[in-house]
Amino acid sequence: MRRDFKKDKKTGNRKKFFVRRRKACKFCVEKIEYVDWKDVKTLQGFIPERGKILPRRISGVCSLHQRKLQTAIKRARAIALLPYATD
Amino acid sequence: MRLYDIVVVLSPEETPEQATALADGFKKILTDDGAQIKLEEVWGRRRLAYTIAKRREGIYYYWQVEAKAETVAELERKLRLSDDVLRHLAVRADEELKRSVKLKKRRDAKAAAKPKKTPAEPAAPEAPAEA
Repeated sequence: MRRDFKKDKKTGNRKKFFVRRRKACKFCVEKIEYVDWKDVKTLQGFIPERGKILPRRISGVCSLHQRKLQTAIKRARAIALLPYATD
Repeated sequence: MRLYDIVVVLSPEETPEQATALADGFKKILTDDGAQIKLEEVWGRRRLAYTIAKRREGIYYYWQVEAKAETVAELERKLRLSDDVLRHLAVRADEELKRSVKLKKRRDAKAAAKPKKTPAEPAAPEAPAEA
């Protein structure tokens, strides 16, 4: 995708492209090793309206942290800190 | 002895006195069996993310405890039996702690080793260290 964008610019193709910024893992950037299941505020950022767990394809979280995030969210759900589903 | 994170959610119908009495009772189960309470947090009344037994609120207690596995198992059994407890959670906290200590050691070692190598080859030492 990014290469195409460059090529188009060179050849003068008028098609509009958005410059997509590389997503970075929030936990790696902030050097958080332990994803705390008690920290509802952070976890809520990975819970869209429906109450599902945000896929890392969208959030950009690395696979290691996504796995930790997953268990953290599941634990928080068990004690009703986070919803299983909302409608 | 292992480190555990324990959360207990009490029914909102309890009066503050009843709630603290219950919480003290649970703590006593732990301490009587030789456990040490390292950390205690009373989160108080919180809105539940979903209704549990028609309740919309719960009274939250959090403890970090160093205890034997059997002690925690016994506490969990009692928590399950109690009608005043809406939810409870007891998970090990020492595994993550150990891991973070290990990772920190590795990172410090890496940081200590780095300055010597960088003048000769700036980018090269990165790759093998990651693998």
